[in-house]
Amino acid sequence: MLTGILVAEDDAETAEFISVGLDALGQRSVRAATGEDALCLAMTEQFNVIVLDRMLPGLDGVSVLRRLRAAKIQTPVLLLTALGRIEDRVEGLEAGADDYLVKPFALSELAARLNALMRRVPEAHAVTRIEVGTTSIDLLKRQVYRCSRPITLQPREFRLLEELMRNAGRVITRTMLLERVWDFHFDPQTNIVETHMSRLRAKLNEVCANDAIETVRGVGYRMRRDA
Amino acid sequence: MMPLRRCVELATECAVMRSRRDSAAYRIAFTYSAAFALATIALGSFVYFTANAAFMRQLDARIEAESNELVADYRAEGPGELRETIATREGGNVKNRLGYAVFDLHGNRVAGVLVTPRPEVGWQRISFFDAREGVERARALAVDLSDGTRLVVAADSEALEHIDRTILALFAVALFVVIALGVVGALILGGYLRAKIGRIGATAEAIISGDLLQRMPIGTRNDEFDQLSRTLNRMLDQIAALLDNLRQVSSDLAHDLRTPLARLRNQLDRALSGPEDARAQRAALQSAIERSDEVLALFAAILRISEIEGGGVRRSFARVDLTALVTELCEMYVPAIDDNGRQFSWTVQPNIAIEGDRELVAQAIINLVNNAQVHTPRHSAVHVQLTEEDRNARLAVSDNGPGVPAKDRERIVKRFTRLESSRSTPGHGLGLNMVAAIASVHRARLLIGDNAPGLIVTLIFPRVDA
Repeated sequence: MLTGILVAEDDAETAEFISVGLDALGQRSVRAATGEDALCLAMTEQFNVIVLDRMLPGLDGVSVLRRLRAAKIQTPVLLLTALGRIEDRVEGLEAGADDYLVKPFALSELAARLNALMRRVPEAHAVTRIEVGTTSIDLLKRQVYRCSRPITLQPREFRLLEELMRNAGRVITRTMLLERVWDFHFDPQTNIVETHMSRLRAKLNEVCANDAIETVRGVGYRMRRDA
Repeated sequence: MMPLRRCVELATECAVMRSRRDSAAYRIAFTYSAAFALATIALGSFVYFTANAAFMRQLDARIEAESNELVADYRAEGPGELRETIATREGGNVKNRLGYAVFDLHGNRVAGVLVTPRPEVGWQRISFFDAREGVERARALAVDLSDGTRLVVAADSEALEHIDRTILALFAVALFVVIALGVVGALILGGYLRAKIGRIGATAEAIISGDLLQRMPIGTRNDEFDQLSRTLNRMLDQIAALLDNLRQVSSDLAHDLRTPLARLRNQLDRALSGPEDARAQRAALQSAIERSDEVLALFAAILRISEIEGGGVRRSFARVDLTALVTELCEMYVPAIDDNGRQFSWTVQPNIAIEGDRELVAQAIINLVNNAQVHTPRHSAVHVQLTEEDRNARLAVSDNGPGVPAKDRERIVKRFTRLESSRSTPGHGLGLNMVAAIASVHRARLLIGDNAPGLIVTLIFPRVDA
């Protein structure tokens, strides 16, 4: 049975901040303060997702992660770190992390990422067509239809729409889009996401007036299921 | 009991000796002198033994020739003639003359004046009695004659021994001089080295104790010490510049952070004291969050620059297809720049690759393009060009805006530099600084020039084969 989210974080204040935030989102969380506790809990109980701090007393986060993956436990793991260095990110992802978040982070960013992790469609289901509301895309033919009419998108706009549709109904943050659509693991401090989003929106709205993409102020974007 | 003063003197002497023994300068100098002394001894021994052997051979040859002559004489004309010949030779007043004796079977001397017992046949050293000088040593050759008598021809080896003694004495004096000069030289050289190094050490100590303006003394000779001092001084200048920079950055950082933090504070203050309208308060909080995001972004940029400057990113360097990357970024930027009312164009040569970090290179290009569109008026043209030049990849971002005065071009690369003319535009003055850090970590050159009109920023990367 699924028992919510395991938060392995030794800093009491950060752990509290995460727990309260998750509570507000209706997610139950269990806290572990050391690497050994985290490993023990993750091995014995089943969680929807594990939030794992890199720096834990005793066994460090990356070691916990390696042991979990070695024990064939595939619970999605989001690695938290105070280090934003490129090498650290690569090491974390190689150890089997599903996502990576650098401290300090906004709760909305964490929540969006956890949501995406928990509802992730396993890759085994090779999706070739996604339909959300009146929008549908064909991933093989790279075609987009809105209200049954074809739309022409630039490759980057297509990737953007695909990412939004795969996560329909959930908020995708600007940084998540930068990572997934542009493969940028840094914030270039420019408005490229906004510009592409407004172009995509304009193209979608040209055929059907109701707005399919919702802007969540200060957080990101969400594809509406009902438009 | 030893008087106290003598005790102290001894202790001081000991300390001086010990400090000399522990000194590398003295050790090297003394080892050098010892090597010279050893070489002198080796040379002396060689000369001594070679000369000795040569003189010995010469002596033996003389004895042998004489002996052969006498034997021939005896054979030709008999014992009587032999005795006469010997007597004649002994009678002549010749310098370095040889000694002769003929013994019968019973060991009685029958001819010659050499006073010595009957020797064995062959080469040997014998002792003989000389009326003036007593018992002396000689080199002798004894041969048997056909009538059973034994002929002995001997040469006094005193002359040889005299030469040997002279050689040894000369070398002893030479060795003494070498050792004496060596010790004196070693003391002088050691003292000189110690004094030189000591001065550098004392300066370093002074710097450690806080006097950062101290510099190593430099002599007039431009020797190794002066070169070392010069290098150390350059290092100290560099450290001082870095410290200065650090101080500058800290104060700039504090200054730059004060503005957004003060605005944030004011906003929160307004939200608190304003009308208790829930929507207005939400809006105020929302914009407060945006302000704090700005501060966080500033910090993130500073940390990123430090990470890049640290050079650790080099470990993850790989081949970057610059042609593809620049094309991709330009295509990505068209909408943003067009929407801003500027014209954007690019020319990209195919098959240009460099060694580096894709994200960092992308960041540099983004920062340059971003600067070009932020610091130019509407309807300006922004152009990106990627070409190959002398096996280098040349990436230029140019615009036809107001440009940057020549005197400011060096300054704008520095951290937190914002020219007066751009005070009103968004940004925190880190964009070009980050480009400079990225260029440096990629061993690329960053050039800022006049596009007449406008600004042209060029990055020249060392190319790798595509």
